[in-house]
Amino acid sequence: MPELIRLWRLFQPYRGWMLGGFAVALVTLLANVTLMAISAWFVTAMAVAGAAGVAMNYFTPAAMIRGSAIGRTAGRYFERLITHEATLRQLAGLRVWFYRHLEPLAPARLMEYHSADLLTRIRADIDALDNLYVRVLVPVLVAITASLAFFIFTALYDLRLALLLLDMLIIAGVVLPALGHWLGKAPGRRIVALQAELRQTSIDGTQGLSELLVYGAADDHARHLDHLSQALVAEQARMSQLTGIAQAATGLTANLTLWGMLWLGIPLLQDGSLAPPQLAMLALFSLATFEAVAPLPMAFQQLESTLTAARRLFAIVDTEPAVPEPTGPAPQPKDSGLSIEGLRFRYPSTVASSGSGGSDSPDPGRGSGSGGSSLGMRSDTQRPAILDGIDLELPPGRRVAIVGATGSGKTTLFNLLLRFWAPEAGSIRLGGEPLEQFPGEALRSRIALVSQHTHLFDASIRENLLIAAPDAPQGLLEQACATAQIHDFIAELPEGYDTWVGETGVRLSGGQARRIAIARALLRDAPILLLDEPTEGLDAVTERALMDAVQRLMAGRTVLLITHKPVALAQMDEILVLDRGRVVERGTHAALLKAPIYPRLLGLALDV
Amino acid sequence: MTAPRTLLDDQKPLASRWLRLSVALGLGNGVLLILQAWLLAQVIDAMVFSKATLADVSHWLWLLLDLFAIRAAIAWASEQSAFRAAAQVKISLRDRLYRHIQAAGPAWMAGQRSGAIAEDITRGIEAVEAYYSRYLPAMSLTALIPLAILIVVLPLDWLSALIMLVTAPLIPIFMILIGSGVERLNQQLWKDLARMGAHFLDVIQGMTTLKLFNASRREAEVIARISDDYRASTMRVLRVAFLTSAVLELFSTLGIALIAVFIGFRLYRLELPIPDLLAPPEISFVTGFFILLLAPEFYAPLRNLGTHYHGRMEAIAAAERLVAVMNTELPPPPRQVASLSADSPLHIRFEDVSFSYEPGRPALAGARFEIGPGERIALVGPSGAGKTTVASLLLGFIRPESGRILIDDQELQALAIDDWRCRLAWLPQQPRLFQGTIADNIRLGLPDASLDEVRAAAERAQAAEFIDRLPRGYETPVGERGAGLSGGQIQRVALARAFLRDARLVILDEATASLDPASEALVQRAVDQLAEGRSMLAIAHRLSTVRNADRILVIDGGRIVESGTHDALIARDGPYRRMVRLLEPGGQHA
Repeated sequence: MPELIRLWRLFQPYRGWMLGGFAVALVTLLANVTLMAISAWFVTAMAVAGAAGVAMNYFTPAAMIRGSAIGRTAGRYFERLITHEATLRQLAGLRVWFYRHLEPLAPARLMEYHSADLLTRIRADIDALDNLYVRVLVPVLVAITASLAFFIFTALYDLRLALLLLDMLIIAGVVLPALGHWLGKAPGRRIVALQAELRQTSIDGTQGLSELLVYGAADDHARHLDHLSQALVAEQARMSQLTGIAQAATGLTANLTLWGMLWLGIPLLQDGSLAPPQLAMLALFSLATFEAVAPLPMAFQQLESTLTAARRLFAIVDTEPAVPEPTGPAPQPKDSGLSIEGLRFRYPSTVASSGSGGSDSPDPGRGSGSGGSSLGMRSDTQRPAILDGIDLELPPGRRVAIVGATGSGKTTLFNLLLRFWAPEAGSIRLGGEPLEQFPGEALRSRIALVSQHTHLFDASIRENLLIAAPDAPQGLLEQACATAQIHDFIAELPEGYDTWVGETGVRLSGGQARRIAIARALLRDAPILLLDEPTEGLDAVTERALMDAVQRLMAGRTVLLITHKPVALAQMDEILVLDRGRVVERGTHAALLKAPIYPRLLGLALDV
Repeated sequence: MTAPRTLLDDQKPLASRWLRLSVALGLGNGVLLILQAWLLAQVIDAMVFSKATLADVSHWLWLLLDLFAIRAAIAWASEQSAFRAAAQVKISLRDRLYRHIQAAGPAWMAGQRSGAIAEDITRGIEAVEAYYSRYLPAMSLTALIPLAILIVVLPLDWLSALIMLVTAPLIPIFMILIGSGVERLNQQLWKDLARMGAHFLDVIQGMTTLKLFNASRREAEVIARISDDYRASTMRVLRVAFLTSAVLELFSTLGIALIAVFIGFRLYRLELPIPDLLAPPEISFVTGFFILLLAPEFYAPLRNLGTHYHGRMEAIAAAERLVAVMNTELPPPPRQVASLSADSPLHIRFEDVSFSYEPGRPALAGARFEIGPGERIALVGPSGAGKTTVASLLLGFIRPESGRILIDDQELQALAIDDWRCRLAWLPQQPRLFQGTIADNIRLGLPDASLDEVRAAAERAQAAEFIDRLPRGYETPVGERGAGLSGGQIQRVALARAFLRDARLVILDEATASLDPASEALVQRAVDQLAEGRSMLAIAHRLSTVRNADRILVIDGGRIVESGTHDALIARDGPYRRMVRLLEPGGQHA
């Protein structure tokens, strides 16, 4: 279990709390066992002494009974407090740890994790790690230590009784949970499969509800869902029957231990090696010890899921960033011109075969490989070059547009310019300096990107803007929003710039979100501007208004624009037509209208 | 409006038979437990005072062994019936929930996060299980088992019974405490934790954006701060919240300790530190030991209640979300059910139709237009003008608030909706492929269609060529887990659906808007074929689509403001011409 060792190393800052929690949990358990054992001994010894009229010291045992009662109460309180403290500390640490390792991987290495489903899995995995301490480590350690203590204590009286107790504890704590696990394996697998199918059917049945209704398939779908639901519950019932056997057997084991203690112990009374109060004590003691192993079945279940979760997270964390950070100091570019020569690139096979653009996302991932959807269908050996010898000179202040069909490599070019990926061959220079010598942050502080995928964070509009410039005063925010033509809209909202947006906040329309992205880019104030279909998916009127905002954003900057929109293309200095990674046509809008490919790509050639 | 608790309680009748059985078995187990304790006390008594040998007590011991086996079997059976109680509820609730969602319809779904709704159908329903399988039986047994023990102990030794009686009422008090403040606190913490998780997810999803702004490393500190604030505030609450359960723990352990000490003192004939007025009853060892064995069992159900309470909390949190869905109002059922004759020509007339999604903001405000049989209509207008609303009305997802939609002079609302819909084909902007094969997906509206018919439909939808190139052809699995098809390919599969259906009216909702020009051309060719011999309503914003229409309807502000052919509208200096100018640079095509 190398994962366990690695996790333990990760928990290093919280080990003090964790050990503290374990110690208190152990004391609490021992206090309860002591309470039962001493009570039994005390009552029996008092009865024997009373009947025989012998004097005995009853103060000590009576005080111990009261002491262990209070010890258990206080122990339980502090146990919960300390284990929660440890868990919460570790939870905070783990999230930051994971985030810090994930950050260098974005976005190139995370392409395969872009579906929301996988992100949810990452979150569930981290939650599973949170459980490791309370649900696995503490119960297992307490069970092992306490069982040994119980064994030694019983062995002081009789070794055979001690061995009986230890064996039964192992049966209840290890053998039966393993049996339950083994019995539940087959139904467990079927349950997981059915759950996945049910989930998929639910998603189909909600996202595709319109189509189901129009095509008269809604009722069939509801019946199918109900059928799956029944199958799932039937499988869960089978699981419950099987694992229930192991559970019932655990209770039975405790009782059998008590029984065995008496069976073996009563003959010991005759030869005087054991006194009656001692046997009474050991009988109740043995019954109480099973509290130590009771949480183990759950712990084993958790351990398995935790280790699987840890394996998956470590696999992500251990991924090499797609682009190594340079070690030297950031070069000083002489200007904000870009120069691209003989640029070639293809995605590594792992990314290609994962099909970044499946049918679940009509656009192939945020800022990721635009060739994903068609790539997914091809075998690895045929991986084509996404970019195949691109040359482009972009002096400061020049505006160049890129046009091409899906999969022609437009977005990939942007990813290379942002150093999210490294080129296979060829070079990119910024202000005369090779791009690979810029640390990522130094490079990206010179570039602003506006794309059709604007992530609005679950936060206020202000916070969403401040991402671009954390120290910007309100005046500057408003100025940027005014230029992006969104200020009036924000000002009219009841909460203005404090309006909550994102998943749980106010829904902004596509055009509004795009304007916020433009405002962000304005606040960023970078000399180079990359625009990736900034008006895609908007209607003509909104698009026109947005283009005005984009125009103001472009003023005085070096611009590279991906678009199909004739309105925008007409205003560019030069247009490159990309086809399968190569520049096939280049020139101005007016000139290219007479070229063979360009008008077709714009949808203008369909005219009668 | 239903409250979450009410929703859970309303399902009880479904579960009650198995619940009652589970509780009865649990109670039976408790009674046998008392018998077991009595047998055990006999054995201990015999070995302490009668110097009994194994042979003397073996009949007790064998009886005990039988009892253990019976109790294990009963425990198993009780657990199973508790599971069954929950199973009935889960199956019925899930079916009702999903059918309610279907009845609420796409108009309601549009305002929901579909991922969250799918989560409710799957995990949300699973979360109510613990309420029926654990919490409810545990609640009954918590009352019954201690009562049974008390009934046995009281005639034997009223002093021990008194100790139990005094400490036990604290349990209900504890319950009330949980029921009010602590539960609210717990739920608050629960929500805080969920919110923190959501923030983390949000940050990961937006990591590329953060990185572009060099804000991604800064965010690590934000995560650390939020997590640490959460820890600090949670611990402040927990320090107090755990006290309540500590009090319960204290009373149950002190109760056991007191019972043990008082029994021991009396067996040794010591004075008890209680008023003389209450002369403590004499007690024999066998009775004393019997009561000592019962004492932990008296408190055990009460102590375990906390664990089950957690299940209840989760179930109520889940029920809260289910209730939010189930409380959505459903559209009223149609007034009367008429149907069109099979060869009805489908002459569609909108008469002053108005509709608004929220009060005061009409999406349609008195729209008037007609679509004649076989006519190809393009509907254009700025976003928010009401284009999609027209489609939703025709598809029967929503109903006019005022005005009428007439189909061959019959009101749409009075038509049997399935009979009406089977005359429609609809191609939305992003059609959905369902889990299953490509053939299954094409068959969506006609499950019994033969493979030849499916092929013919695919052929006409320009989809046959790419499907035949797939390694598994029509049997290729698609959907979220299937092979990735491109947007244009998905559109063409969806078009094949429409061809197979052989509908009379085709509704296209900006069908080609998200495609690149090359795919758009292919889809457009298929659409043109589909429109042949059928009526068509195309919502469009690309000129290439619009120009082939027989007639263009220009919609703005919820009304039809212009209508005519492309050339006629261009000739007039109206809204259409202004729109076309916006679309095209330098007036090249205007």
